[in-house]
Amino acid sequence: MSALAVVLVVALAAAAVLIVCLPFLREPVADDDRLDAPTAEDERRLTLAEERDRALAALKELEFDHRTGKVGDEEYRELVGPLRQSAAEALRALDRAQDAPS
Amino acid sequence: MSTRSPARLIVALAVAAVLAIFLLYTAIAGKSTPELSPSQLEAHPGFASVVGVVVGPVSGDSHTAGGLRFGLRDRGAAKSVVVPVVYHGDSPPPLFKATREVVVTGTYAHGRIDGTGILTKCPSKYTAQSKA
Amino acid sequence: MADLGRAALVVSFGLALYALVAGGFAAHLNRRRLANSARNALVACFFSTLVAAVVLASALLRHDFSFSYVAAHTNRTLPSIYALTAFWGGQEGSLLLWLLVLTGYGALAVAVNRRLLRDLVAWVVPVLGGIATFFSFMLVAVASPFDVQTAPVDGAGLTPSLQNPYMVAHPPMLYLGYVGLSIPFAFAAGAMLSGNTDERWIVATRRWTLAAWTFLGFGQLLGAHWAYVEVGWGGYYAWDPVENAALMPWLAATAFLHSVMIQERKGMLKVWNMVLVALAFELSIFGTFLTRSGVVNSIHSFAQSSVGGWFLAFVVISSVFSVALILWRLPLLQARTKLESALSREATFLYNNLLLVALCLTILWGVLFPIVTELVKGESRTIGRPYYDFFLRAFGLPLLLLMGIGPLIAWRRTSVRALVRSIAWPIAAAVATGVILIIAGAGSSRAGLIAYTFSAFVIAAIVVELVRGTRATGSLFRLVGRNRRRYGGYIVHFAIVLLAIGVAGSSAYGTNVERHLRPGQATTVGAYHLVYEGVDPIRNDPNRTGQYAVLRVSGPWSGTLRTGNVTYTGFDETDNDVGIKTDWLRAQDLYVIADFQKGSNVVFFNVLVKPLVNLIWVAGIVFLLGAVVAMWPDAREQRRLVLRLAPARA
Repeated sequence: MSALAVVLVVALAAAAVLIVCLPFLREPVADDDRLDAPTAEDERRLTLAEERDRALAALKELEFDHRTGKVGDEEYRELVGPLRQSAAEALRALDRAQDAPS
Repeated sequence: MSTRSPARLIVALAVAAVLAIFLLYTAIAGKSTPELSPSQLEAHPGFASVVGVVVGPVSGDSHTAGGLRFGLRDRGAAKSVVVPVVYHGDSPPPLFKATREVVVTGTYAHGRIDGTGILTKCPSKYTAQSKA
Repeated sequence: MADLGRAALVVSFGLALYALVAGGFAAHLNRRRLANSARNALVACFFSTLVAAVVLASALLRHDFSFSYVAAHTNRTLPSIYALTAFWGGQEGSLLLWLLVLTGYGALAVAVNRRLLRDLVAWVVPVLGGIATFFSFMLVAVASPFDVQTAPVDGAGLTPSLQNPYMVAHPPMLYLGYVGLSIPFAFAAGAMLSGNTDERWIVATRRWTLAAWTFLGFGQLLGAHWAYVEVGWGGYYAWDPVENAALMPWLAATAFLHSVMIQERKGMLKVWNMVLVALAFELSIFGTFLTRSGVVNSIHSFAQSSVGGWFLAFVVISSVFSVALILWRLPLLQARTKLESALSREATFLYNNLLLVALCLTILWGVLFPIVTELVKGESRTIGRPYYDFFLRAFGLPLLLLMGIGPLIAWRRTSVRALVRSIAWPIAAAVATGVILIIAGAGSSRAGLIAYTFSAFVIAAIVVELVRGTRATGSLFRLVGRNRRRYGGYIVHFAIVLLAIGVAGSSAYGTNVERHLRPGQATTVGAYHLVYEGVDPIRNDPNRTGQYAVLRVSGPWSGTLRTGNVTYTGFDETDNDVGIKTDWLRAQDLYVIADFQKGSNVVFFNVLVKPLVNLIWVAGIVFLLGAVVAMWPDAREQRRLVLRLAPARA
């Protein structure tokens, strides 16, 4: 192996070790070394937010399908009520969760 | 009234239908071709795809009555039996030549393959010898 | 410098292994710094692999024949661009490309998602690390591109038929596709390992999956075009096992892209989506196993080599891992809602999925048939073209029809009356097309006629959708801008229709005539009259020898067509140089192949007229456009995602 190659290999290995050890070098002692995963409360809010978005998207989709003729008037009336209700419920549940103390 | 989703029933029926169709097809109506090496031909005369290495000399012309003539031996077995091939049809693919692996489609009878098709490999898969 | 390349790969292997082991511990034990360290290892693995890649690329460009790989695939006269494409021309170089793309994709995917999906990414890192460990191990221990030798005076060179732009682009495109399927797989596995089996991993990987799927699809079309213009057998797809090896994961990924929409909207098909993403990934690895092992005879396969066994072992281990993971997490993968009606958008997606997977599995059966028969009966048997054509029609034609029906059906449920109202115009268009085609003589092929009428149905359905949508929103631009994913999808559907028309036209309605002609003799093929004028040998060209047959053509097009055989100096092979005249006005190709007979002035001509074949290539461009529209970033969607995923944290 030429001298240049040796230098480059050593530099590469050193760089690799440095990058891998960086989190430990930055924080030799960590107050809290836990993975910043969502808490149970965060998860609940996330689930409620996803339900809200899904319900609103379904409502929007239904309105669009009705305007473009894929859904007839009778079907629209049948479907829109329950969808609006579930969207409202999702919004209320999310508001309650966000207002609740963490 | 059942509140179970019809999705599972649809999936199960569809899978069963597909399975039935292609098992029937390949077992009864499908025309599969045996894939053999030259040394296996004696025990399995008839129409086959024969995978082997071209043994020279390569002579003749596939467009003439005499056909293109060459030999075919097993891959990786330099001392295996060499089966004569007489090929009629389109000119063989550009990469065809002695010592290359090819697939010859045809009928084996009376110690000879009457070939009707030759398949060679994609050019990148043949690596020539480096020039010293 | 080979030592540098080799050392860089050893470093890559070490880093990948660290990402796997340390990342797994960190995720399991909930250790933040260790998880970050593992993530950094994955990023560093990319850079170290890049060093190895630069070493190989520079050796190729410098014609450093002390590298065995360089000597085997290039020579001094090879233009630099093709010297560089030799990078992926051989076993070892293509494995290095695979590792480079994998670590690049992986580093980017975890970097982009590290803040929003911390817990999920912590598990994604070891999964990607595991895949990278396998490929880096192969490069270090089994198939190294850095083997050295006493440098010969010159290398073996690159076969001339590979020295063209299609071969520059085709393999990297396919690799970007194959390897890209590792990302949704890793995120799916990460979701199951972390217990977060909701839609977050799907939303995070949607564009990655779409990009991989686009590269894989477009890469296949590039290969088909190369086969058509360069190889010169008159076709573009031979159902060769290695061609099928790219098609199968593409079909599985197509099914996945559709069914995830159901999970996002309805929380259904969670298990199915996990199975599909694993299937797409496993098929991508299986495809490369087929190419590299020589286990089935294919024009694309490398000679039988030692890597096959390793790849098979990896496919088995990763498949067992995927199945075990899905079974373990089954309780978390229960559907939130159910299918309400067999006549709903969800149901049509389900039917489309079943057809796509059925087609995928029947192709897989055809590919595996020689291996299965060898194991069961001791005699290997192959299945030919008729098998594949049969199932392409059996599943492909209903799929074509569903592409038209699906968009016209509402989510949740549609009444029969509403459906009939929606499909009235498309049906009328299909019937009118069918009648016109029968009058024009297209009834000779039933499959072709069905394909054309279904295509007319789909095109009309897309037009109806766009017209109604534009009326509802006031502007086509606003309509597409509001839902790029959907309308990008419709553009892709239109591309598939063009592909179907092109394939049906060129195969079902083409003409193929064989003639032996002496100079001065003529023949008529379709509306073309061809007179063989004589031979024009190649003169004064130091790089090529050979001859062309010159044909004077009259009819829908008049002019001279040349077709012949060319031998490149220094290469012991003769290439077909086919004569192709593309008539865009009449949407057909006149395609002529010439075979010269030794010692005779008789030339054997194969003359083909291929209607609509160029729609296949146009479809490729439209496909790209549709995919780009579907992938285009949506600022509103991104803001919503950020707000949703970064809730009340101080």
